[in-house]
Amino acid sequence: MSNNKVSRRQFLSYTLTGVGGFMAAGMLMPMVRFAVDPVLQKKEGGDFVLTEKKIADITEVPERVDFTFEQVDAWYKSDITNSAWVYKEGDEIIALSPVCKHLGCTVNWEADPAHKNQFFCPCHAGRYEKNGKNVPKTPPLGPLDQYEVRENDGFLEIGKAIPNTLV
Amino acid sequence: MHWNGKDSTVYQAQKEFIDTAVIPLIQIDGSDEGFQFAASAADFTLSLANVIENQFKGRIVLFPSFSYTKSQDKQLVFKDWQEELNKASFKHIFYVTSDREWSTMGEEQNIIWIPSVPLDSMDQKMRNSVLEDQLRQLIPIFAKKWAN
Repeated sequence: MSNNKVSRRQFLSYTLTGVGGFMAAGMLMPMVRFAVDPVLQKKEGGDFVLTEKKIADITEVPERVDFTFEQVDAWYKSDITNSAWVYKEGDEIIALSPVCKHLGCTVNWEADPAHKNQFFCPCHAGRYEKNGKNVPKTPPLGPLDQYEVRENDGFLEIGKAIPNTLV
Repeated sequence: MHWNGKDSTVYQAQKEFIDTAVIPLIQIDGSDEGFQFAASAADFTLSLANVIENQFKGRIVLFPSFSYTKSQDKQLVFKDWQEELNKASFKHIFYVTSDREWSTMGEEQNIIWIPSVPLDSMDQKMRNSVLEDQLRQLIPIFAKKWAN
């Protein structure tokens, strides 16, 4: 029985260790939290947007696919609709940005009857080949941008614009 | 291009390519019977103007809309805009409106008259597809005027 008794000395040392432990933890915790914070940051938007286009429906002819995402401009949220020209090249799916590299007009597929199988910009008659390569001697100086794409449950998802990788 | 500081810098640098001004004309109607219709038409015209800007970004400058009341002298409005925009060396000026009266004032004034479609009850997707349809019809009109 007597060996279960807690002596005054033991009691004090347990209590002091406990309290001291709490105090140390109180100081260390925020430091640790600050240190690992960058890892815990959640990624801000910018990722893939789901479209209503079925992967199976995509053909070799470029087709316009719209996709809408929310844009936060300071405190003002708005829905932005962008579009892409999507087609299949073998098994690969290609999505090209419709923004003309000249001054930012929207290009259309085969919009000029004189030039089949090309993208056409109605503003200054800029032309691009199917893979987005700008046709020499037309105003644009670079190829159309490309979008990252992936599949989600049979539907197409479009990511951020990247420089053209096909040209 | 929009009528803002950033785009106007681009305009000044690329004047040879950006040669067209687009001005939406919006009628203000305070009467009981016309109020709602005019507001709805304004919404349509402005939305359409934005779609046009998006399509032809590199060739047009979309100006802030010009709002007027029925009694204002329309001929005078043309004259004033023309004079001012000539200073900025625009080759073409297009006015976008859904007010019928402008379209009876002569072809040479470059009026693009489009009867208003009530967009109020449509959701965003429907709105976009209506405006896209309208835009498709406008592209040849712009192309034709630019070709001359």
